[in-house]
Amino acid sequence: MVGKTNLDQFGMGSNNTNLVFGPVLNPKYPIEDNPRVAGGSSGGTAAAVALGSADFGIGTDTGGSVRLPATYCGQIGYKPSYGRISRWGVVAYAQSLDTVGIVSKDMAVLRGAYELLDQYDEKDPTSMTIETRRRIKRLSPVSPASTSLTIGIPIECLVTELVPEIKDSWLKLLSQLKQMGHQIRTVSIPHIPKLLLAYYSICTAEASSNLARLDGIRYGHTAGGGAGSSSAPEIMAETRTKGFHIETIRRIILGTYTLSGVSGNHYLRANQKREALVKEFNQIFNMTNPLFHELIKRDDSKCDFLLIPTTITKPPTLEEAMATAKENFLTAYVNDVFTVPASLAGLPALLIPYDNTGFQIIGQYGDDEAVLQFGSTIEHNCI
Amino acid sequence: MRFIRLLSHSTISRFKLDPNYAFKCGIEIHTQLKTKYKLFSLSPTTTSSHIVPPNSSISYFDIGLLGTQPKLNPEALLLALKLAAALGCEVQTTSAFDRKHYMYPDQPLGYQITQHYHPIAKNGSLTLRSGVDDEGNYRLDADKCINIEQLQIEQDTGKSIYTDDDEIKIDYNRANMPLVELVTKPDFENFTQIRCFLRKYQQLVKYLNICSGDMENGAIRVDVNISVNGGNRVEIKNLGSTTEIKQALRYEYKRQIQLLQVNITVSQETRGWNGTETVKARSKEDAVDYRYVPDSELSQIYLSPTIAKEIYDEIEPQLPERVLQKLVLSPYDLEVKHAKFLLDNNDNVLPYYFQLVEAVGARDPHIKCTTINNWMFHEVLGSFHKNNQIFDINVLPFDKLASLITLVNGHDSRLTLTSARVLLTHVISNPGDARPLDALIEELDLEKPRDVSEHDILEAVQEICLEIIEQNPDVVKKIRAGKAKSINHLVGLAMKESQGKVKSSLFLQTFQRLI
Repeated sequence: MVGKTNLDQFGMGSNNTNLVFGPVLNPKYPIEDNPRVAGGSSGGTAAAVALGSADFGIGTDTGGSVRLPATYCGQIGYKPSYGRISRWGVVAYAQSLDTVGIVSKDMAVLRGAYELLDQYDEKDPTSMTIETRRRIKRLSPVSPASTSLTIGIPIECLVTELVPEIKDSWLKLLSQLKQMGHQIRTVSIPHIPKLLLAYYSICTAEASSNLARLDGIRYGHTAGGGAGSSSAPEIMAETRTKGFHIETIRRIILGTYTLSGVSGNHYLRANQKREALVKEFNQIFNMTNPLFHELIKRDDSKCDFLLIPTTITKPPTLEEAMATAKENFLTAYVNDVFTVPASLAGLPALLIPYDNTGFQIIGQYGDDEAVLQFGSTIEHNCI
Repeated sequence: MRFIRLLSHSTISRFKLDPNYAFKCGIEIHTQLKTKYKLFSLSPTTTSSHIVPPNSSISYFDIGLLGTQPKLNPEALLLALKLAAALGCEVQTTSAFDRKHYMYPDQPLGYQITQHYHPIAKNGSLTLRSGVDDEGNYRLDADKCINIEQLQIEQDTGKSIYTDDDEIKIDYNRANMPLVELVTKPDFENFTQIRCFLRKYQQLVKYLNICSGDMENGAIRVDVNISVNGGNRVEIKNLGSTTEIKQALRYEYKRQIQLLQVNITVSQETRGWNGTETVKARSKEDAVDYRYVPDSELSQIYLSPTIAKEIYDEIEPQLPERVLQKLVLSPYDLEVKHAKFLLDNNDNVLPYYFQLVEAVGARDPHIKCTTINNWMFHEVLGSFHKNNQIFDINVLPFDKLASLITLVNGHDSRLTLTSARVLLTHVISNPGDARPLDALIEELDLEKPRDVSEHDILEAVQEICLEIIEQNPDVVKKIRAGKAKSINHLVGLAMKESQGKVKSSLFLQTFQRLI
């Protein structure tokens, strides 16, 4: 192990600016003059791998925290299916979304690391069961050597905010795949535009719950605890006010509201959207979702993978990022629009760096092997 | 203030209800489950500060370390299901855990894992039987069914210890201990029903080995809800004993009546008990928003629809009510109070009793259970009591007592009751003396004269009697003057003289003849 890397506090951020140890700069761009951000939250890992300090790095991906910095830093990033890699030891941000992701320059190294970590762990109650792992092996229809796959493009991802360079790169990659013999098809996942709200309701609600234990009583940062001088509520309040970054506080307050009696069941409704999203994904993938009983038949309207961008823009400069955050912190949230669908549905998503940006290959839940195999094919033929 | 002053004068020792003011009460009981490990971790449940140092029986998860996750202990689930089955609850085929948020130093996660939306069991009941489930002076007028709304599995918190220097010391040993919370319907109409319910419940959980059943050490904790004449209900939390429950309810009942008498509506609120009065803790308006949310780290519990019946069939013969029925009927024929004593001591005395009955039967099948019961509850417990000891089955193993009973009441009776009592006293006061009964009988010279002819015995008896008559002329005079009962005094002296080896009836006959 080489070291621990910097990140937005508790994984909350897209630009790696919400942190205790100062921002991570993007090594892909000159850092002396108007440096660009490495992306967040696992920006330290992506930057370290980009600099060649490590062959691969791990970080958590709750809503894109591995895929976004990998895109910005030009690395391969992988968010496995939910439950593939044990969360034992992972500081929970949003426990129903948190996954352990991997960043590397090299597909073979990344796959080696993944195979090592992809194990059932009885200590993690949300670890993918051995039974589900077996079922996946029987259900995955894609043979690794297949030369004719169907790639789906959700029409809901063709947003106007997408900058032209990224749109052009996307088209270029798709035409290369077509030349290789794969089919390209549009599909529809109507819930995609509604997901940001659902995602932020869920992750902030869960974060407000998970971070409640950080009260300064048993471990970690403690403020205001001069012997016998403060009451317990005072110690807790001061510890939390001083210890948490402003963005963390913002999300805890938002989540506390979401779970409160006055919010009108936001958390429940967000999870209903999530269920609906999973059903929509089940409709468009050739592979049956191993967690559902009805078997899906392969037909012409379905696809094997989705291929979508990671981000709507190029990495902003540190200055831009700071300015936008000050102006309206919600702007940073919009950046997650392409990464949260896979997070909410627990799907495997591989980020392939391409043309100064990056694209995600998203497969059905549990179809990690096929996604990685297809990633290797693209790495060989398109980059 | 006016009401508090009024109340301070009303020092009533008994809890009497005013017929104009209907008392209505429901209770919540927290029962600590007797599992080997905690609810969601593998730390041992030996957490009492008398046995282990504070904060020594804790795992990473118990103290809420980051990066740790809960894992449901199936033993806790089983015990909760046993309780649900024993109370006739509908066990839910799907139940789940939720997080209940509040911050307190002894709550390590910042939330408690409980079952708010989908509890493990609903709609049970426990029927109190008049004449059977009475508790001391608290006698039930009639049978009463107490309905149970639901049972939920949840975590206990750590313990806050307040020191004299205004410091709080926190012991997390109790954190994550498994609890079942039971909520009754507001079916209680008086304190007697509450008292009898609690006793019956304690006995049930103890008997099924679900919980130690003790209120003193907090293994069972009770909150009560009380309303008068259908008004708003007031919750009184953290009552540590039945005495506190009684005092708090009595105070609160009076308080609500006094409010109603001056047309003030009782407000719905939570109150505490400070030893003399109930004190407002918080009103309905400023109730804590617990922000209940399903705990997505714990999978739902799916159970077969037949599981409640399967468990019930298994525990049915061991249910205290069934055992009580068995004990008061033939062949045991125990009195209800003695049967209840055995149930209360089901971990040692009850099995002892069954072993004793079997052992006596093996030695002499003609000895009736009523004779054995008399030995057990009068002679044995009485002797221990006289010796200021608590009955200890190790001092008097069941086979020793079986032999003793057979020696007196068996076909070939070798000991008189009086000799047997001497022997029993010897055994109890010399727990170290493990010699067999025969050796003790010989040493203490207690055996009935056996090798002596009937004639010789009568002669010896006559000799003793004559001697006593001679030494007690006053008593003889009284008897002759018509005080027939005084003859018992002489019989007593004769028994003492003969060390109880001769039946008292023989002495009585001889005295009657001689005087």
